[in-house]
Amino acid sequence: MLSISARSLFKSYGSLVAVNGIDLDVKSGHVFGFLGPNGAGKSTTMKLLTTLIPPTSGTIEILGINTIKQPLEVRKKIGVVIQQPSYEPNLSVEKSLEKYGMMWNIEKKTRQEKAEELIDIFDLQEIRKRKNEDLSIGQRRRVQVAREFMHKMDLLFLDEPTVGLDPSARRSLLDFLKNKAKTGLTIFYTTHVLTEAEYLCDDIAVINKGKILAVDTPDQLKNTFGQEKTIKIHLLYRHDKITELLSGIADCKIDFNTGTDIIIQSSKSELVLSQVLQILIENNIAIDDLSAMPTTLEEIFLKMVKDTNAPNN
Amino acid sequence: MHPTIRLVNRNLTISLNPGFLVWQVIFPIVYIFVAGFAYTALIKSVPFGNVDLDYPAFIASGMIGFNIMNSTLVSGIIIWNDRRHGMFEQILVGPFTRSNYILSNVYTIAIVGLISAALITAIGYPLFFESVEFNLFTIPFMVFASIVGSILFGSIASIISTRLKSSEGFNVIINTVFLFFAFVSTAFYPAQGAPEPLATGFYLNPLTYLVDIIRAGIFGTFNEFVMLEMLVLVGVAAVLFVVAIKLLTKLDL
Repeated sequence: MLSISARSLFKSYGSLVAVNGIDLDVKSGHVFGFLGPNGAGKSTTMKLLTTLIPPTSGTIEILGINTIKQPLEVRKKIGVVIQQPSYEPNLSVEKSLEKYGMMWNIEKKTRQEKAEELIDIFDLQEIRKRKNEDLSIGQRRRVQVAREFMHKMDLLFLDEPTVGLDPSARRSLLDFLKNKAKTGLTIFYTTHVLTEAEYLCDDIAVINKGKILAVDTPDQLKNTFGQEKTIKIHLLYRHDKITELLSGIADCKIDFNTGTDIIIQSSKSELVLSQVLQILIENNIAIDDLSAMPTTLEEIFLKMVKDTNAPNN
Repeated sequence: MHPTIRLVNRNLTISLNPGFLVWQVIFPIVYIFVAGFAYTALIKSVPFGNVDLDYPAFIASGMIGFNIMNSTLVSGIIIWNDRRHGMFEQILVGPFTRSNYILSNVYTIAIVGLISAALITAIGYPLFFESVEFNLFTIPFMVFASIVGSILFGSIASIISTRLKSSEGFNVIINTVFLFFAFVSTAFYPAQGAPEPLATGFYLNPLTYLVDIIRAGIFGTFNEFVMLEMLVLVGVAAVLFVVAIKLLTKLDL
């Protein structure tokens, strides 16, 4: 069953096309990552799916409900953690949770119990009496995410929820979301942190310039787009002519070169590596460090975005 | 609980904080009991309809209208803070419609206005109890004025909050506008005896109409002019309310 189904989704603001013909399917119970550079259309897509703005054309069904015909019914079944911090400045943390539960029409006893549970889970005990305006950005973000779990939902939208969180809080949140997904909650997750997407998501879509470039599992994306391995060489001393020396090697793309740090991508990494080493030895160029590793999701993402931004694309 | 009522509950929680309530009480007390008695040496009595009021009674009744106007700032502040702190968007992705949000602001304004009016009436009562004409006929006029006045000034505050993007701009504009309303009105002094341009200015100000209706309600001084003022107040409130609704409906996300 699909929690989200979008077809031929367009959103334009005058001459600016923010979302350019997106088709999207998100299976129930899955964690779906939505990745893209700034200005790619992630937030606009999120606003379309959460019924904040209507599409210019196209159809969206959330949990089987048409978002244009019954937007309120959709919103009653979803949770949304928006990208912008959202809080009432002069309410305390525990009061914020309690009031948010009231807004969702949760019974008083239930929301008190739920608030206590969430204060424990999200480690908010020390700050429970403090006003939101007195919290740090990371603390407010934790409260904002915790608050969304005051009510029941079948689908949760999270727009860069870990911004401002320290590594420990970030990992706790990701683990919490992973466990929640196992109970059947569908999660739609946008992030700039590719390692998060790799850790958390069952499926990932990459968007740029309003179009989806690829949708697949993280492993399949790496298999499809990351057949190349990445060789990283750190030289002891700077050599400005290193690009020139290595230019004769076939199937060898030098993506980054500061003169001491060289990153080479190749689908024939063992052959290329031996050729590179031979050239460095012949030219008495000392190596400080050398490694070969599979291409990461981040590198695939950057390559995809770079290719779609190329002038002749 | 109806979604609009849930939002009213939320609005009242975030706006009726101790600081706001103290401000609503302390400021009028200073005006009524300090300025009121201090100016008594200069102003012996103020003719109002068929009664002559001493100045403390006159200013106490004016402060009711002033406080209703002041308290409706809460509407603009709620909208402004919600936009600034992300709660406007958060509420609209919740189980609410824009109509719920807008109506909840209207109800909040009306409740805060009524509470404010009742508070100042209670505080000022010792000063005007000798001339007061509270009864089943006059009290509805005060309730009417409180609600309509709240909607009128709340709409103005809402319109300002939807048009401005910076907090500095919001604070400056709203304080300037409401200061103008406060001083170019009959809240603190009568129109009779004022220079003609100023007296004309008074009657271009909706606070004057609000204050006059409240005084008519307290002191039982009804006449055709007060009825006309009520019609004008309702008309202006309706127009501003429609404008505020249109702007809130179109507010970008």
